[in-house]
Amino acid sequence: MSISDSPSSPTAAAAPAAAAAPDLASASIRSTFKAQSAIESLSSIITNVPDSPNPAFALLHDPEIASQISSLLRQPDAGTGNNNLCRWLYDTFQSTDPQLQLVVLRYLPIVAGIYLSRVTLRKPLAGFEAVLLALYAHETTSRSGQPVTVNIPDLSQPSIYHESKAPVKNNSMDLNLAVICPSLEPHGTVRSTRRARIVGVALELYHSKISQLPVASKIDFCEFCEAWAGGDQDVVVNGENGGESSSSSSSSGKLGKEEGRRIPLSWELMQPILRILGHCMLGPEVQQKNNNNNNNKQLFDAASCACKSLYARSLHDVNPKAMLATGSLLSLARLALDSNNDIDYTEIRMTNVISL
Amino acid sequence: MSESGENEGDVELVREVCANGVCMKTSEVEAKLDQGNIDEAESSLREGLSLNYEEARALLGRLEYQRGNLEGALRVFDGIDLQAAIHRLQPSLSEKPSSKKGRTKSDIPAQVSQHAASLVLEAIYLKAKSLQKLGRLTEAASECKSVLDAVESIFHQGIPDVQVDNRLQETVSQAVELLPELWKQAGCNQEASSAYRRALLSQWNLDNDCCARIQKGFAVFLLHSGVEAGPPSLASQVDGSYVPKNNLEEAILLLMILMRKHHLGKIKWDPSVMEHLSFALSLCSQTSVLAKQLEEMMPGVFPRVDRWNTLALCYGGAGQNKAALNLLRKSLHKHEQPDDLKALLLAAKICSEDLHIASEGVEYAQRAIINAKGKDEHLKGVALRMLGLCLGKQVKVSKSDSERSYLQSEALKSLNGAISFEHNNPDLLFDLGVQYAEQRNLNAALRCAKQFIDLTGGSLLKGWRLLTLVLSAQQRFTEAELVTDAALDEITKWEQGPLLRLKAKLKISQSKPMDAIDTYRSLLAIIQAQRKSFGPFKSVSEVEDDKVNEFEVWHGLATLYSRLSHWKDVEICLEKARELKQLSSEMLHTEGKNSKLFLAYKLLMFNFYVLGKPHRHVIDGKTSQADHMRGKKAKNCLSSLKKGVMCEGRGLTHDALSCYFNALLLEPYYVHCKIRAGALLFKMGPKALPVARSLLSDALTIEPTNRMAFYYMGLVHRDAGRLADAADYFQAASMLEESDPVESFSSF
Repeated sequence: MSISDSPSSPTAAAAPAAAAAPDLASASIRSTFKAQSAIESLSSIITNVPDSPNPAFALLHDPEIASQISSLLRQPDAGTGNNNLCRWLYDTFQSTDPQLQLVVLRYLPIVAGIYLSRVTLRKPLAGFEAVLLALYAHETTSRSGQPVTVNIPDLSQPSIYHESKAPVKNNSMDLNLAVICPSLEPHGTVRSTRRARIVGVALELYHSKISQLPVASKIDFCEFCEAWAGGDQDVVVNGENGGESSSSSSSSGKLGKEEGRRIPLSWELMQPILRILGHCMLGPEVQQKNNNNNNNKQLFDAASCACKSLYARSLHDVNPKAMLATGSLLSLARLALDSNNDIDYTEIRMTNVISL
Repeated sequence: MSESGENEGDVELVREVCANGVCMKTSEVEAKLDQGNIDEAESSLREGLSLNYEEARALLGRLEYQRGNLEGALRVFDGIDLQAAIHRLQPSLSEKPSSKKGRTKSDIPAQVSQHAASLVLEAIYLKAKSLQKLGRLTEAASECKSVLDAVESIFHQGIPDVQVDNRLQETVSQAVELLPELWKQAGCNQEASSAYRRALLSQWNLDNDCCARIQKGFAVFLLHSGVEAGPPSLASQVDGSYVPKNNLEEAILLLMILMRKHHLGKIKWDPSVMEHLSFALSLCSQTSVLAKQLEEMMPGVFPRVDRWNTLALCYGGAGQNKAALNLLRKSLHKHEQPDDLKALLLAAKICSEDLHIASEGVEYAQRAIINAKGKDEHLKGVALRMLGLCLGKQVKVSKSDSERSYLQSEALKSLNGAISFEHNNPDLLFDLGVQYAEQRNLNAALRCAKQFIDLTGGSLLKGWRLLTLVLSAQQRFTEAELVTDAALDEITKWEQGPLLRLKAKLKISQSKPMDAIDTYRSLLAIIQAQRKSFGPFKSVSEVEDDKVNEFEVWHGLATLYSRLSHWKDVEICLEKARELKQLSSEMLHTEGKNSKLFLAYKLLMFNFYVLGKPHRHVIDGKTSQADHMRGKKAKNCLSSLKKGVMCEGRGLTHDALSCYFNALLLEPYYVHCKIRAGALLFKMGPKALPVARSLLSDALTIEPTNRMAFYYMGLVHRDAGRLADAADYFQAASMLEESDPVESFSSF
């Protein structure tokens, strides 16, 4: 826990970023320098660090680095307070360089996945906690204490996309206000009752950067979701209309017992999880037509497996809200696979007679 | 290039090009194109059909494109200076900036120029399509964008919807639809969202289907791209209209508009729209809004049972259990789908939360157990758990001792049976723990509570509370206090209220009043700080669970001071409490017996707390009418009780009694009221003893572990001369006192 209490917390960290703004050229040099030093300190932790002209890019996308870091994070004794890798992740995130922060976020699925699965075993996990708290603190500062809310629109009031004949009510407070995430308090340690919130907020941060993260990281996340849902029962999910049915029991072997296990899934965790899974299944990269990218297909499959497990879990918890959300995602995945909807309306009409 | 292969097959079908009333076969032109002689092909077209240079090129380009010869098409189009063509079109068409609406109608050269514009725009569009198919997405997007730019610069007033050239409109619509797709494929998310906004917020005269496709595409993009689109430009914001301020709001707005369009019959039904909306709204926990959308849907879109079940999920998700259950009763009717497992489980779950319908829930749960087979076998544990919960609730309305003990053992059997299916489900362990505790099997309850805390890693407050209460019931106050302290460490300051209250009570039980006073002080400090900073934006769950009734706290403190005979402090606390509830002030002045009345008030407020709890959504501000009625009823009931207590304090026995009975008429299962009425009747003399007795035994049926009921029952029997019975009751009362937790187990 000593790391998280260090003074270089988010408020202090925000200052150099602002100072760097005026001079773009020096900023980019500085960021390359930061990435270079991050790679150097990493080389004392993992054995093989390939040379690269673009260190920040390599850190984020190089498969060799990723596999080494991942397997270290999955070690049974990972995540302790004096763990070098956790310290590296922490320091790298505190560098305030957006590219390097992405590198840390890339490993969030594994950190959060292992942490939540092991925390009930009373193991020392202060290293993971420090990383999670750093992400939480970053998000707390960037929201500046404001809650995340959604005004549910009311169609009787005209909007930018439609007109309404009803008289315009000035009273816009009539709208349904939904609190997506309440205002955040700063936390120096992970109190057990706040654990789900802290990890949930870290996942929200992950979601906000998700389009820049590599597919492998998202697949990691999907696998942990499946484990969190508790896939050890022989869970079979059938489609809404008795459509496809598949058993996820076989796939639950993807993660060992030690790595992922059933955890309490409060809504503060479920909400970011669902948003991330939504992106993994229905995001623009995954849903491209004529997509022959194998990675994306893999991601889609992993996400739909996770979604099936979470749907089964929501049935086990008899949680109507989660049943609705996961059920909709599953139906959408089915509709996406349905090739009947593949008419390309942007194609011109092919005619035998071309006229002017 | 499977597509070009297909088009190769089509080549035979492309036979003619027509212009100016003349048609000619393409075979000759195609042969020239295949040899790479674009110029020759062009000139033969110009001669054959008397065309100008651009017209001929446009026709050739289209021909190449249809033949799947994309590179060729690009070469042909590159020969046209499209920018110059656009530029030429502008002066001839562009209106004087001062022109008024309707001017376009009288625009005489419109026909001719529209035709020319159509030719040029189609050429650029086909160039974009060719680039797209060749995978040069960014170039394709910028070509496509130039189509839209050109349209905007040629038609200042938007495309005239009267007399518009069909082909021109088609090209424009297609370009509008294509642009965001291209940016998406190119991975340029910011550009994609501004292209979507441009498509939807400018006047392109799109037809309903095309517009709906774009709206849906944008909604999906907003929901799932993971890129915040930012607020729409100020130019598009009309005064007084709703402007979405983030992705979720904009997506929900678009999807709702699509639903509305379908209701109005403007577009055909697209199931994915409903699914996206359902995902988005449940993500925001706004399932009641989703229910409204479903209710607005025309019959025939969904099978009615599906619709009922989904609606039930919506209402259940919004905490409107009564509405949910009514729908489930319809869908589980024997003529509909009585064996639908999901509906059965949800119905049982809802019933398990209300003792009056617990027996109905038992039936659903039993049917669920029977139907949890085959691929649904994994849900058997859930069904058993629901059965156990319903039976446990039913215990509280059981009519006889034998029925009660039967139900209790069945409830335990079911819950234990469920454990064998889901040994790692902490919620189940918690339910089992509460059940054991209510049956005063405290050792087993203790084991469950500990396991629950282990499995959840101490992340849930209710686990800590259960453990504390069980320990307190075992009179292990010191340990209970240790647990409370451990729990307090795991909880942020704001949420410590309920635990501090518990701790104060534990201190009192240990006869450490000064410590209790300290605890109350810190509790009050938290409450007051909370009151100051309690914005509307605290999440609803926090408001529900963590708010400790301030009135009750002042009261606890007043009682404590009165025990210590610190009368001045008592007075101060009462004053504080009085400020919170003005209604009590007059009565308290007229009555001298402060302490007794306050005790009654404390009881009353505690009841309010307990009764108020099932109506959580009232706090939510979305009070449905039914719940409103219930809330009103509870309030009336309480005010009757209050009046009764007041009358009793004044010695107006008969008035007090009638108030109590009024309260009971409103809320027949109101234990405390029954006991008060029973106690009052007991004081009225021997004639009333039988009535008192029946009231008290009623109270005992509802709450078999209520020691006050046992105590008064003992008094009744003593006065009636049945000393042996009286002794039994007194003994029971004292035993219960020994296993009484500091707060009731039924508060879970």
